[in-house]
Amino acid sequence: MEPLILAWLAPYLGTLLVMLLKDRGWKAKSAVAILSILTAALAATAAAWRVVEAGETIRWAVEWVPSLSVDIGVYFDGLSSLMALVVSWLSFLIAVYSYEYMEHEEGQTRYWIFFTFFVGSMMLLVLSDNLLTMFIGWEGTGLASYSLIGHWFSDEEEHWVGDPGRKALGKQMWFEPSHSGLRALVFTRLGDVGLIVGIATLHIAAGSTMFAAIAGGKWAPLLARSGVLLFFLWMLFLGAMAKSAQFPFHEWLVTAMTGPTSVSALIHAATMVKAGVYFFLRFAPFLVAAAYVLQGAVPGGAHTVAAFLQWMALIGGFTAFMLATMALVSRELKLILAFSTASQLGYMFLGAAAGTLVEGGLGGMYTGFAHLASHAIFKATLFLAAGAVIHAVHSRFIDDMGGLWEKMKITATSFILASLSLAGLPPFMGYWTKDEIIHISFQGALWVPAILSWVTAGLTAAYIARAFTRVFFGDKHWHVKEPHEPGPYMWAPYLTLGSLSLLLGIAWPLIAPTVEETLKHSMGVAALEVTLAPHLEAPLVPESTLLLALTALLATIYIYGVKRADLYAAAVKSRAWAALHAFLYDRWYVNSIYYWVFVDGTKALATLLKKYFDQLVIDNFYHKALPAATLWAVNFTANVLEKDWDALLHKHLVDAFKKAWRAFRSLQTGQLSDYIAYMWIGISLVVLLLCLVMGCKP
Amino acid sequence: MMNLPLLWASILVPLAAALATLAAKKASAKSLATLNAASLAASAVLILYAYLAYGMRGLAFDPIYFRVDGIGLFALTMDSMVFAASFSIAAVTSVIAVYSLPYMRHRFEELKEEGAEFPGWRSYYFLYTLFALSMIGTVMSTNTIEFYLFLELTLIPSFLLIAFYGYGDRVKIAILYLIWTHIGALLFLIGALAVGSAVGFDFISLNTGFLVGLGEKLGPLAATAAALLVIGLAVKMAVLGLHIWLPYAHAEAPTPISALLSPNLIGIGGVMMYRIVYVLFPHTFAGFSQALYVWALATMIYGGLMALSQTDFKRLLAYSSVSQMGYMLLGLASLSAFGIAGAMLHYMVHAFGKALLFAVAGILIANLHGLRDITKMGGLASKMPYTAALALLGFMHITGIPPTVGIWSEYLIIRGAVEKALATSPAWYMGATLALLAGIGLSTAYAFLTMKRVFYGPLRESLREAREAPASYWAPLIVLAALGITAFILASPLIDPLVSQIGAVVGGV
Repeated sequence: MEPLILAWLAPYLGTLLVMLLKDRGWKAKSAVAILSILTAALAATAAAWRVVEAGETIRWAVEWVPSLSVDIGVYFDGLSSLMALVVSWLSFLIAVYSYEYMEHEEGQTRYWIFFTFFVGSMMLLVLSDNLLTMFIGWEGTGLASYSLIGHWFSDEEEHWVGDPGRKALGKQMWFEPSHSGLRALVFTRLGDVGLIVGIATLHIAAGSTMFAAIAGGKWAPLLARSGVLLFFLWMLFLGAMAKSAQFPFHEWLVTAMTGPTSVSALIHAATMVKAGVYFFLRFAPFLVAAAYVLQGAVPGGAHTVAAFLQWMALIGGFTAFMLATMALVSRELKLILAFSTASQLGYMFLGAAAGTLVEGGLGGMYTGFAHLASHAIFKATLFLAAGAVIHAVHSRFIDDMGGLWEKMKITATSFILASLSLAGLPPFMGYWTKDEIIHISFQGALWVPAILSWVTAGLTAAYIARAFTRVFFGDKHWHVKEPHEPGPYMWAPYLTLGSLSLLLGIAWPLIAPTVEETLKHSMGVAALEVTLAPHLEAPLVPESTLLLALTALLATIYIYGVKRADLYAAAVKSRAWAALHAFLYDRWYVNSIYYWVFVDGTKALATLLKKYFDQLVIDNFYHKALPAATLWAVNFTANVLEKDWDALLHKHLVDAFKKAWRAFRSLQTGQLSDYIAYMWIGISLVVLLLCLVMGCKP
Repeated sequence: MMNLPLLWASILVPLAAALATLAAKKASAKSLATLNAASLAASAVLILYAYLAYGMRGLAFDPIYFRVDGIGLFALTMDSMVFAASFSIAAVTSVIAVYSLPYMRHRFEELKEEGAEFPGWRSYYFLYTLFALSMIGTVMSTNTIEFYLFLELTLIPSFLLIAFYGYGDRVKIAILYLIWTHIGALLFLIGALAVGSAVGFDFISLNTGFLVGLGEKLGPLAATAAALLVIGLAVKMAVLGLHIWLPYAHAEAPTPISALLSPNLIGIGGVMMYRIVYVLFPHTFAGFSQALYVWALATMIYGGLMALSQTDFKRLLAYSSVSQMGYMLLGLASLSAFGIAGAMLHYMVHAFGKALLFAVAGILIANLHGLRDITKMGGLASKMPYTAALALLGFMHITGIPPTVGIWSEYLIIRGAVEKALATSPAWYMGATLALLAGIGLSTAYAFLTMKRVFYGPLRESLREAREAPASYWAPLIVLAALGITAFILASPLIDPLVSQIGAVVGGV
């Protein structure tokens, strides 16, 4: 047994222990949960150390289901060990925060059960060496998120997301926890069906579900020749798109804020949504290998792979832009951060796709992973700090905040540090990683996503500046007596992470080569590279991006912090601005359209089928028409056929006999002369008959 | 050949219990429940042992068998498929026998209040166990007439159980059920007689195992005979178009019986469709496979849509069973060893999952004054946490979410379906994928929407008084959930023999 397996096993053991401790106090359950995650983090660190130091990959596995080539164990290569580090340490810090945050809340056992299950599943997903074990972890994160998003399942209003009573296109725009949990599960499982079809297809084409068997891309020619390659790639990535909330699956993520804030931090920073990006990074070198194999084998095959990556880049760029525009107008602190997450996930998709196109598998992996890590750190900080703010003012709306700097200096500092990283300012980590994505998109001549991502850099700086200015500066709008800092279990984690955004940013030029070197030891990276896109010079991109972000940031701070302008009040005076505001505030009406088309459509179809097919046609056919037809047939035979026959046999025949008898009786008159006459007639008839039959010869 | 008559014992032990039940005039309800549950648990253990010791490696026969002139071999057999089905039957019926005690006590009181005449505990458990053991017999049989006899034996007790203890217009529904299943059985019998009169009734031989392709010797009649067998079994499975009896019977049966009927009895149709029809007519069945594939996808989607539009909890579950039979049929229609293995494993998944769900519906009925209307529920998780957790586990089974064994059968079925589609044409591949998106999406939607409507949200004013059911209701169900999780972890001894044994017949592994 390899002790490093504790990297995913320990949190699962934590789940079991928490169940056993269900009647014990909060301290005991928390200690078990936090320690189990710490164990995972230490195991991941030990493994990553070996991978980084010695440049080796660690694989330990036992067979689980040999007929499906499924095994279970741990696989630490460059990508998975770095990813495991990010996931486990962030989860640990968030767990520590939870200890204080959730102390007085309902459903404590349930909270830790699914928290540890979440972390265990995410670690299993990351550390699997085959598609099916990864998929099991993947589905585990789905279950845990479902439960945690719907943690407050009795749906009290304080846990809702959205403005109660608000409607867009006739559809409600507020979401209760139980509703949001359902949305998260249904949205992501739709994508998972695509993923499972993709896994099955790879299993067939490669004869195995092991990554090692897929990495070489040997499966691609078969699929290209069958004419399903592009469709297959879409399906394979559908799960990643849904999990990572890419358009058109982004809707579930923005309403997932109904869970405890610590859960939001966990979902957005460490687990769940990062799974899709991780999947993309894992497959980036495989896709390059597939393109390489296809190059000579199937005409146009490599182009299909490139075209698919261009689509992913476009979806990423579009998601980044679309969700950033929504974040500009939102009134809920957590919702701003949620829009921001989906937008940043768009950046990661764009980075992974553009990086792969321009620089091959390693390039995609590096670009995507760097931003994944930097986002994980600053977004965890933002959510955890936001949780402290929301607790302090007892409101989720930024309208009820303002001027909190005086009261919550640690929280404000952490939040602003992370905000600057998100805004992409140097020397924060976000500067390096986001800049890389925008730059590489221009280099690859992916013009539409490149421009969208460039504009989004400005929007990002603006929305996060709006958020922290309206929360921590300006006029005080809170209605509580004395907002105050939380205890150290809460602020220590986010202060640590906020500081890390800065420190890692300062050290990034030194760290980046190590990260890239480590990623080289990832599966499939050593494969031959092919050119899938041009590699242009992109002068002035970093400078102009920075200038844009800085301008947007300062302008927003000036408007909200110095001028203290009420842009909303000004905007709604004009009809066009009000319409634009509503469009953004109601999430481009995408949610309403989904409810009209999919929810109502399915409902209508189900009702119609039930009423007019199941009941009217099928039920009536078998249970009314068929019995009625049988009854009719019975009646018909009884009344028509049977009756006549009956009448013939039992009436007419009887009557005939009766008549004959009566006639016979009437003959018996008693007169001798009559008898003689009859006898004569009788004999004559018999003779006549005999004559006719035998032939009469007179 | 086994050393001991394990398989006969797995049927005769419950039979002995059933007969003892009939004879025990003074026994209490509790002792009857214990006796019958224990006998079925013993049956499950015997089946497990027979599988681990023999069936895992391939077809194994019970040492006791008969030959009947003109009909053929009456033997009992064990292999991976038989195990998946028979173990599920024995385990589920054993657990539900325990669950029946509080439930039927409640039901008897209700019936008394109605002023209905009904036979008491001894009849209930006698019929119950008779029903259970004859289901076990069906899947172990080696001969179509033997199968038919066991099948007939399931119908009478289940008919009586519905007629005596059911809900609503129970006698009418019981007769409807009887007629429908007899139509299915009769179609099957005509097909079986057509085959039997020409080439004999056996589909498994003691010496050579599966008599693959035997039925094809019928020549031009083969297609007709195979079609009759398929349709006869499809009536049993309640595939789209032939499904309409199921919601009536399964919704109005006494709930413990619903928990047996819905997953166990109907799934037998799927298991035997492979063991009899595919085995006897591999080519003819392959000829049907595209039609069956489409039929299966349509059943999946249709059942899901119907489940979404139900407001009666038990009817919803009944339509969900229709949809689940679509999954099973899809696996069979794939003709792939993985897909068929998935169908067999799905029997087990559905047995555990749907039995849990019907039992949960029964807990609500018995403890909340006959509450079945989902629109009148809401927020029950705060009052009934164990019931809610069991319902969640039940839905996780049928939607394939780990850590339940459902994820394995879901993957295997899709693996098979994709293989077939990929081999057919790009349009099939894309069409099947989109249909799966719709079908599985609908399953997820109705499952978790039901969770939300029943258990989450604010507690209904009318349910203020609700409280967790006594442990006698939910404690036995933990066994089913635990079995589903254990099967998820110990997947290899289940899946590997299934894939290899089916692969040996259908090829392609």
